[in-house]
Amino acid sequence: MQQQAPSPELSSIEARLLELIQRERMSLVDTVHRHDDLLSGEVLDSVAVLRLATCVEEEFNITVGPADFVVENFQNLEILAQYIQRSMAS
Amino acid sequence: MSPLLHHLLEEAAQRDPSAVAIRCNGESLTYGELARRAYGLAHHLVDGGLERGERVAVLLRKGFEVPAAFYGVFAAGGALVPIDPRSPAEQVIRILRATGARRLITEPAKAAVARQVVEACPELREVLGLDSAALAGEESEKHLNANANANANVTGRPWSSILEAATERRPPVEVLELDTSYVLHTSGSTGIPKLIRHTHHSAMSFVEWAAAEYGLTPADRLSNHSSHHTCFATFDYYAAARAGAATVLLTPAVMMMPASLSALLEKEKVSVWYSVPTALVQLSLRGEMQDRDLSALRWVLFAGETFPQKHLQRLRQQLPGARFSHVYGSTEANVCTYYHLPENPVPDGPLPIGKACPNSSTLVVDENLQPVPPGGSGELLVRGSTVMSGYWDEPERNRQALIRRPAGGGFDQVYYRTGDQVRTLENGDLTFVARTDFQIKVRGFRVELGEVETALLALDEVAEACAFAVPDSEGSSSLRAAIVPSPGADPDPRDVLRGLREHLPIHAIPAEVAVLQAFPRTPTNKVDRKALQAKAQTQAQAKVQA
Repeated sequence: MQQQAPSPELSSIEARLLELIQRERMSLVDTVHRHDDLLSGEVLDSVAVLRLATCVEEEFNITVGPADFVVENFQNLEILAQYIQRSMAS
Repeated sequence: MSPLLHHLLEEAAQRDPSAVAIRCNGESLTYGELARRAYGLAHHLVDGGLERGERVAVLLRKGFEVPAAFYGVFAAGGALVPIDPRSPAEQVIRILRATGARRLITEPAKAAVARQVVEACPELREVLGLDSAALAGEESEKHLNANANANANVTGRPWSSILEAATERRPPVEVLELDTSYVLHTSGSTGIPKLIRHTHHSAMSFVEWAAAEYGLTPADRLSNHSSHHTCFATFDYYAAARAGAATVLLTPAVMMMPASLSALLEKEKVSVWYSVPTALVQLSLRGEMQDRDLSALRWVLFAGETFPQKHLQRLRQQLPGARFSHVYGSTEANVCTYYHLPENPVPDGPLPIGKACPNSSTLVVDENLQPVPPGGSGELLVRGSTVMSGYWDEPERNRQALIRRPAGGGFDQVYYRTGDQVRTLENGDLTFVARTDFQIKVRGFRVELGEVETALLALDEVAEACAFAVPDSEGSSSLRAAIVPSPGADPDPRDVLRGLREHLPIHAIPAEVAVLQAFPRTPTNKVDRKALQAKAQTQAQAKVQA
């Protein structure tokens, strides 16, 4: 199955996320790809995951409530960008 | 009683081969299939010349391969060396060298680490879980060349071929209950970890007690929260197998997200939980517990650090159907004391660690190793069938940790020195006071770090607290602390310090309090005190240099 190219807006959110992760030196690895599992324990540690949530709130001016701080929203960059996009729209 | 760990699997598989042994990511592995996979691996190891008691290292992330590898090594007569899957290659190499392991069981996700291990460990003979191509690292010319020079004798074999060899019968090898079952390593990001040797006997003694005390049945589902290289896994895997119950593996992703964790506990109907308190504090604070039905949860066991009363009380309200058990032990001794919390009310003050398990006996001694009278406090010594046989290849450390005391009749008894300060209560219960090495001296005054943490936690705006000493330039120590604020709170460190003045003598007030979003954690999820200490020390040095 051919994958659809990400919509421009999503890809820009992803790019900002990636920049955020690099700027804040959150990652345990050199490069993070959009489908890398952020929650495997090998890309971000538990402290970095919490920091990522806080930074996302500040960067995108959204609130990540406890019910949103779940695997389904943070699994990888693409999924997280979709969540951010939904939160910004609502 | 089954004297050997792999007998647990054999009996569970014979009783009901279709019973679920492991749940992981929504999928099931039955006892029958787990036994077939473990025996397939065991035959491969035996056919490959595995010697009795030979160490076999296992470097795997959570998944079905883990119990297959563990039981496979036991059934082949080997000694298991489970390694923290998050370990950097240097740590894996250190453990392999120290234990003399010549075989490594791993998976494709760990190929890069495995290649470095192959280069650095010429004794290594076989890597299971990777095919030869992945082992040679064909995508990396550098590794290929290095391998060709360093260690061309290592063979690789993928998991698929191990699964193809699955069989109903375990190989006929002799194993004594006094043979090594596993060698566990303690955490520690730097330096050589402690390597702790247990026999089948010391592991099984704990398993038998735990399965009976918590009334485990085939209907139970035990969560596996901690990494499988820790002593918590002894309960999660083997006590479950003793009862024919299932073990639900909690992946790192779920453990990082309390609301996902509570949803999984609900969905999987987890009935028995065992972890450090921190994981339960997170669950209680951020687990959206009001939206979950966790009525299947009947036992919550916790150990390893102090459970702050305010969080424990809230969790008990959130889980009205669960009983709570405070267990005490260490990797060296398994669980040796336990305390079931009364229905109501929980006594004020530190939560007791209770009385010795029936397979252990405790003794509280002073600095000269003389017993202290009831009501006194001192270091806890433990003897019994759950205690380790010793640290691997460390005679000096063993002489210090395992001491002999006369027991009449010209015989000696071996006691393990826990290094923990405890107090005896009038009713015979014990309470934990502090790690012996958690007492520090500040300007000549003795300070218990635990008391500082308790005072910090008494503040509403503090959810988690950790106190630690940082050596200063004058050869003394300064007291520091770090806190994680309660949800929604944004405390000023100066107010926190001011708040402590009501509860602590002036010498026990930290020089600085750092406000963090979360604490660094060890693999069992305890607060990584050493990491906090190192960070504070680096900052202190930077200040001096500036």
